[in-house]
Amino acid sequence: MTGKIPDAVPEEKKITAPPLIHVEANQEGYRWVAITAMLFAIGIILHTVSPNVGGVTPNWTIAMYSIVINLTRPPLKRAIGIGFIAGLTLIPSSKSAFPLGNIASELCGATTCCLLVKAFVACRMGDWRLTPFITGFAATFVSGGVFTFILKLVLGLPLRVWIFAMLPVVAVVGVLNGLITFGLFRPVKKLFYAQEGGEEK
Amino acid sequence: MNSVVSVTDFYFKYLRSDLVLKNINLEIEKGSFTVIIGPSGAGKTTLCKAITGIVPYYTGGDYAGDIKVLGETTKGKKVSDLAMKVGLMLEDYESQLVSLTAGEEVAFSLLNHGFPPEEAEERTRKALEDVGLPGRESYQLDELSGGQRQRLALASLLAVHPEIIVLDEPVSAMDPDGGESLYKLLGKIREEYGTTFIVVEHRVEFVLPYATNLLAIKNGEVAAQGRCEDVIPRVYEDTDLRPLLPDLWQIKCNLEKKTAQKFALWKSEKEAVAELQAKGFGRGVRA
Repeated sequence: MTGKIPDAVPEEKKITAPPLIHVEANQEGYRWVAITAMLFAIGIILHTVSPNVGGVTPNWTIAMYSIVINLTRPPLKRAIGIGFIAGLTLIPSSKSAFPLGNIASELCGATTCCLLVKAFVACRMGDWRLTPFITGFAATFVSGGVFTFILKLVLGLPLRVWIFAMLPVVAVVGVLNGLITFGLFRPVKKLFYAQEGGEEK
Repeated sequence: MNSVVSVTDFYFKYLRSDLVLKNINLEIEKGSFTVIIGPSGAGKTTLCKAITGIVPYYTGGDYAGDIKVLGETTKGKKVSDLAMKVGLMLEDYESQLVSLTAGEEVAFSLLNHGFPPEEAEERTRKALEDVGLPGRESYQLDELSGGQRQRLALASLLAVHPEIIVLDEPVSAMDPDGGESLYKLLGKIREEYGTTFIVVEHRVEFVLPYATNLLAIKNGEVAAQGRCEDVIPRVYEDTDLRPLLPDLWQIKCNLEKKTAQKFALWKSEKEAVAELQAKGFGRGVRA
């Protein structure tokens, strides 16, 4: 250490910082992969075992990738990748007439979620961030809307069936998913940032 | 001077926080044992993370200035690359343990850096031996005590032969015997390998025999830095920092102030008693 010893810093001395360089957290790409994989796995299991109540089942996979996107705030390209993987994971367990429709619908859902996360960063009600609810609902609604529209095309159903029979059910599932995303976001975030001293991003 | 860490005009703030480090300028001499002291929240841990590249490149944030480790700037360096030169043991060392057995734990970083298995095995054996855990390669982590796990975390750092080791409050959760024993080990490693140590410590009495340099931080700024003998009087004058000095050094400063005499840098009570007796203090006083 230098022999030169600075004087003790006077209490009232104010230091003006020079222009600061902003650095995004670079966590070497591992943690978001781990958390995405973990939540996808939970989503797939819950998606497989969740019972159908009154024709409505929450789509756990969408809820999980909504949480992932809210937590890691990925760039759009990465969000599209997350949507694609989500679509692939849904195909094997899909009971619909056109399982491949999941890929297109989840691509749209994840893209919507990502764009809304970027748009609603500061949307709060008191201490609660509302973004997880909004994005969970919107991702599900868009994904469900796209999926059922593809189904309508494949099965040749009338437009009125899609609008008045399918979309309302999608909206109900969307609300359910919004609530799940909202409810699970905080605990997952606590776990996710436990090693970082709970820094708020 | 041969400095291994050089911090120049460094400022840092985390995302959504005020400045945590302000105008930090310091040089850490090769082979020195630098103790960082300062009140809670002064920025000691952040400084340690900055030296190891975690701040700002891993955590994110806003910064100005430069940090050089072994002559190379940390800008754009991966934490894992810097880990080969500078090892960090966090206060919560348990969070750094990721494997099932002691041997796997020490070999983990070596294998990740592409060391051949034979060399990793040899380095693991040596590192465990150095920290007083010889032959424990196959021990499960839960078979080791808290102190042994801490030594294991240290062995993981030593195995990659870093030139600098940064420790953040390594004895905060240890009893006095454990604390003394750990610092004795660090002192031995420094003597043997010439490793540079940077230690954040609240209980400075443990490091008295080993500390060569002192860095006092207050409100994110360097309040004083230099060799212990030069810095201690300055730290003593600061009422916020004074309580952080060990009793022995506070007594020394107080005596120097009252008697206008100079005393050596006492590293133990024994040294203090010997010098005081030699200078005629306590003559005629019976215990």
